[in-house]
Amino acid sequence: MKRIFDAQLLGPAIALIVIATLVALTTDRFLNPGNLSNLSLQVSIVALIAIGSTIVIITAGIDLSAGSMVALLTMLLAEMLKFMGLPLPLAILLVLGCGLALGLTNGVLTAYLRIPSFITTLAGLIAFRGLALLFNNGSPIFSLDPNLEPLFYGSLLGIPLPFYYLVFFYGLAAVVMNYSKLGREIYAIGGNPSAAALSGINVRRVQTYAFAIAGFMTAIGAVLMAARLNSGSPNYGQTLELQAIAAAVVGGASLAGGRGNVLATLIGSLTIVVVQNALNLNAVPTSVQNIVLGMIILAAVGVDMWRNELSSKIGALFSFSSAKQRGA
Amino acid sequence: MKAELIRAKTMTSISEIKEPLWEVIDLVKRYPGVLANDHVSLKLFEGSIHGLLGENGCGKSTLIKMLSGVQPPDAGRIRCRGEDVQLHSPTDARAKGIATVFQEFSIVPSLTVAENIFLGRLPTGRFGGVDWTVMNREAKSVLAEMEVDLDPEDITGNLSVAEQQLVEIAKALASDARMIILDEPTAALGLSEIDHLHKLLRRMREKGCAILYVSHRLDEVERIVDEVTILRGGQVVRASGETEISVDNIVAAMIGEDVGEHYPKTDNSREEIVLEAHGLTTAKGVSGASFSVRAGEVLGLGGVLGSGRTEIALGLFGADPLLEGEVRIHGKPVKIKSPMDAIRAGMALVSENRKFDGLFPNFAAGGNITTAGLSNITRAGFLDLSTEDKVTAEYIQKLEISPQADSKTINLLSGGNQQKVILARWLFCNADILIFDEPTQGIDVGAKLAVYRLINELTAQGKSIILISSDHDELLAMSDRIATVQHGTVTGIAKASELSHVDLVKASSDEATHKLQESAA
Repeated sequence: MKRIFDAQLLGPAIALIVIATLVALTTDRFLNPGNLSNLSLQVSIVALIAIGSTIVIITAGIDLSAGSMVALLTMLLAEMLKFMGLPLPLAILLVLGCGLALGLTNGVLTAYLRIPSFITTLAGLIAFRGLALLFNNGSPIFSLDPNLEPLFYGSLLGIPLPFYYLVFFYGLAAVVMNYSKLGREIYAIGGNPSAAALSGINVRRVQTYAFAIAGFMTAIGAVLMAARLNSGSPNYGQTLELQAIAAAVVGGASLAGGRGNVLATLIGSLTIVVVQNALNLNAVPTSVQNIVLGMIILAAVGVDMWRNELSSKIGALFSFSSAKQRGA
Repeated sequence: MKAELIRAKTMTSISEIKEPLWEVIDLVKRYPGVLANDHVSLKLFEGSIHGLLGENGCGKSTLIKMLSGVQPPDAGRIRCRGEDVQLHSPTDARAKGIATVFQEFSIVPSLTVAENIFLGRLPTGRFGGVDWTVMNREAKSVLAEMEVDLDPEDITGNLSVAEQQLVEIAKALASDARMIILDEPTAALGLSEIDHLHKLLRRMREKGCAILYVSHRLDEVERIVDEVTILRGGQVVRASGETEISVDNIVAAMIGEDVGEHYPKTDNSREEIVLEAHGLTTAKGVSGASFSVRAGEVLGLGGVLGSGRTEIALGLFGADPLLEGEVRIHGKPVKIKSPMDAIRAGMALVSENRKFDGLFPNFAAGGNITTAGLSNITRAGFLDLSTEDKVTAEYIQKLEISPQADSKTINLLSGGNQQKVILARWLFCNADILIFDEPTQGIDVGAKLAVYRLINELTAQGKSIILISSDHDELLAMSDRIATVQHGTVTGIAKASELSHVDLVKASSDEATHKLQESAA
């Protein structure tokens, strides 16, 4: 367990606790059970997508296509449920398969055709939303299936279902990234692709897998998005990819690759959502919210950079680098 | 060499009279947990080449960083012509006449040679635009003065590593510095280029420059420097004039004990042939290389930089695809299309450039050691991390790697420790045929000895080693047979005991003359 809950989590966790405490002290309704359960609903979609974003970032890539892929997949799900009359479980499985396939496409273009991931997924960002508009003449599709909404709003033992999804997928991702061969290879190709190739790692294949995982997690997010609004729309998921990347970065992932931690990304997602929630509760306009979000990203990355310099100056006192770092 | 020695001694007596150009007095620099420089004092005189020597981690780099304005000292004084000065930044140091050629290149690959030489002080014309004519002309004259045949308008990234290194040196010279600091300037150079550089340095010395020279190649240090200062554990253990400039004395002072034998070679070669390569040809300059390696043998590959030694290794290891040729292991032909195939066939490659294609800077020792043998610790897709920890601890102990390697990411360790971790990576794979490409480059004497002992141990187990080294003493001493490589092919194989330094140099100089003819044509 020491490996999963390592020093990488410490910084983001302290930041989250400080922010949450400040919010709790200044905003009465923050700690209401209703608000807290609303929070877990709010964070779930972006946090699930951020698992994939983080893994891609660790390989030194980036996935900009997630938000548009969500729009495309909600439309696909809506089309299958509403107009093709497919049973819900089958439709969901097909959507998950499509997400995986789109992720694989991103991966193959990046790894085997050697187009930088920024470009392949930028193309996806533009093209997937275009594809979404091809369904139903570009109009949203509403009232999909009575059994769809409970996937998002349902609860078990009084706890909303999305909470369980988060626990399941983050648990799985943390185990894969810290304990599996694939996880180690993902960190290796992000740390030094040439060294990874000379160590006998199939760099291209691992890179492709990372994008496939990202596509799959995006599909999970898309199903939940469709369930949340019981509809599909080509307008869903705008800037979702950027929020997911922001969550990873606030969690300490390095865009240079090789560094990042999925659980820290969960903390990063929570930090962003807690701040948004606090601003909402205090009726702060969206414009200011966005400015604040920008500041958080800058502060998170800045603190991460300065910490290294500080620790070399102040020594062991504030140094986290002496703690056991494994692939992170 | 005698003459050099005598001159060195006279130099020392002169230095007692002359005023030093630069002087550092009691410099102290502390990093978390380490006292990197502990009251280091040093005098640098005009017209003298001063060797700064010591094992990795002895504080050389720290001293250089303070002298070139990269980092301020915690205590102590830096004086120029007798006056105290503060070096606030690298620009500041350069303005005061100190030019530093760092071990890590500061070349911008996408710029031309001339642009790199004048980077940061491009000559400007009337409207503030860059005056390309003046810049290229001056770059040309600097290069001509160095007797380097490079076109100022070539893109630097397209040049060979050795040529880039020369550009780096040209950059220092073009700034009219009175003091030049060279940190391992020859690590990337072949023999003829080193000679060339030495000529150049001697000329700079005649012009009255003070030169501070850092190198691990003690044979060349012996040839070029006038005086040496030796550091150990952040302290000066031998000040200038206290050591006779000979490899034996220097080594003894550096590691603090008399090592006796620098190259503890044992002969473990057996008759049985393990690997045969026939007519290896790749797109990257290997053309029809053939050789064989026996069990327990060290086969040296000799030749100059760019002769194709490294490329043969990469071809054999599947990193550069073979266009033609056959590889047989224990008599059976094997298809090697990727490093993965090579590793499966029992091969290992310790590559030439640790930083570029060896280290995983984001992993501590454990992750770095197991990467090439992950399947050894994988059960059903998951890693057996307790085995990894155990193995790591074993290698740290066996190869005398710094215990910090266990917890610190590898980029924070010294070069010698990094190299040992990479050696451990291939030991963990249990490879039978190990290719060591410049295994002792840029590492200290103690770590070098560890590498040599490891070579002996491996060959005693019957494993075969292909050794590539630009250090001729090392190559002659550690190899059983040596294959000379020119133009990507093996031109001859002979017993190391029957070869001399001269033979190797001759092979290299043939190459050099050929290269000159080519560039003339």
